[in-house]
Amino acid sequence: MKILAITTITILEIVRRRVASIVGIATLLGVVAVAWGFYRINKDAYNPISAVAFESALTILVAFAFSVVLAVGASFLAAPAIAADLDSGIALAVLPRPVSRTEYVLGKWLGIALTICCYAIVAGVLGFAGVRFGGYHPPHEVKALAFLLAQSVALFTLALVLGTRLPAIAAGIVAVAVFGASWIAGITASVAQSLNASALEHAAQLAGLVFPTDGLWRGVVFELTPAAALVAESTTAAHQINPFGVTAPPTIAFLVWCALWVLAVLAIGTVSMRKRDI
Amino acid sequence: MNAAPAIEALGLAKRFGRRTALEDLSMTVGRGEVFGFLGPNGAGKTTAVKLLLGLIRATSGAAEVLGAPLGDLEARRSIGYLPELFRYQEWLTAREVLHFHANLIGIPRSGRRRMAAEALDAVGLTSRADSRVASFSKGMQQRLGIAVAILGEPELIFLDEPTSALDPVGRRDVRGIVERLRARGATVFLNSHLLTEVERVCDRVAFVDAGRVIAEGSIDEILGAPREVRLRLGNVGEAGETLLRALGLCRSDPPWYTMRGLVDERIPSAIEQLVAAGVSIYAVESARATLEDRFLQLLTENDEDPSDHHDHNS
Repeated sequence: MKILAITTITILEIVRRRVASIVGIATLLGVVAVAWGFYRINKDAYNPISAVAFESALTILVAFAFSVVLAVGASFLAAPAIAADLDSGIALAVLPRPVSRTEYVLGKWLGIALTICCYAIVAGVLGFAGVRFGGYHPPHEVKALAFLLAQSVALFTLALVLGTRLPAIAAGIVAVAVFGASWIAGITASVAQSLNASALEHAAQLAGLVFPTDGLWRGVVFELTPAAALVAESTTAAHQINPFGVTAPPTIAFLVWCALWVLAVLAIGTVSMRKRDI
Repeated sequence: MNAAPAIEALGLAKRFGRRTALEDLSMTVGRGEVFGFLGPNGAGKTTAVKLLLGLIRATSGAAEVLGAPLGDLEARRSIGYLPELFRYQEWLTAREVLHFHANLIGIPRSGRRRMAAEALDAVGLTSRADSRVASFSKGMQQRLGIAVAILGEPELIFLDEPTSALDPVGRRDVRGIVERLRARGATVFLNSHLLTEVERVCDRVAFVDAGRVIAEGSIDEILGAPREVRLRLGNVGEAGETLLRALGLCRSDPPWYTMRGLVDERIPSAIEQLVAAGVSIYAVESARATLEDRFLQLLTENDEDPSDHHDHNS
């Protein structure tokens, strides 16, 4: 039950520091802008197939922007969760209590996970509602949102764990850098594949496994791409060099790897916390 | 409550890389004692407290707190701690901070409100119970820290510089809190630079320097017997002067007369003799070294010890 005490205080901090209200207002403004933008698209200027392709590309672009906000926000929310407690001396008052360091880390993780999940679900539902209001019905919104969430969970777990050893700002920056590096690795793998540069492709794929956030982002892209566009993507030579395109969903093995990756990072975090002097 | 000492340390040492913060700390603190742990900056006092609380890991040596190994979660239910560099969640109110800690200690929900109110009352923060910590002065935060430390009636309370941010009224209040803790049988481990505070409230003290305990004992043992007795006298005639010289007069600065060698047991009879000789007695004072005098003397002796050539830091 000590985990829940830490979880509660973590969520309370996010609420009391007005992070939730500020992000909430910014999100609402973003949703209104998306709805208005989709509503203003002049569909008569395109043939029906081009209109769907354009709207799906725009939806993926909006999802990418949301994914960046979610990933960066989650990183900078998680990085100070432990690091700031250690820096400020709050941990000195909490950790001599009958709460194990593992409970402390898991409590923090759960508090941030619940906050991020609630935000992502509410913001995601509102965002897709905004797109629908504009007249476009994206495919597989729920699955896309699940991949977005998974990506955020992986990244904030890394930021939280880095915070057990690094100052908050350094932990946040490293996590965001990992997010960017993973994305670039994914693009590099696509380009290398189209150029038949197998060594580069394998190196990029390996980087994508070490930092699996881009693989999860590609799950978002796949789920938001209409079936017709997927067929075109996989059969048209011109599309095969699109480094942002996706023709297949993440495999089950990859998703299992991602789950294990999160668990392993969290386990490293608990060990790191147990081993360190306060 | 088991019969083991509150604290028992044997050869406890802590090194940070090549720096030795604490070297060979061996001591026993009994149940119900108010124990002063004294030393200059960087002597290893806070390191010792952190080791005993399981916040840092010992490089070597062993210790038990409340009869349990260091870091034992069950023993921690009975331990309160005020850190030297304290900070509490500034987005919480004082009452919420105490409820959070009550939850961590395992106090049932039904008892948390009462215990939090009692702790706040003990430190004089009742009127600010529902104010955010962010609005507290340094002194008020220290009072809150003491409230957190005494919450739930712990058996052992570590107070690391509990009066560093307090005014004289606050320091008096802390003395009162320590006296009440002693009265209910709690053990208090007090780190402080304010030696007059320590002298007033502690049963025993240990001096630590360069990571080692250099002296340990009761206040009387540490300070030794009074060296001199000062008398404020009137009507000291020739007979009185003769009698004073016989009693060990070493200095006279009327109306003050200082005697040497007048041990406690002889003072009543000496006073009777002076009264019989027609001397008026207005005051009798035992003059002995203060804890501060002894502290400085021990540090000087330790610095001069040729065997003392180790690195140290806290």
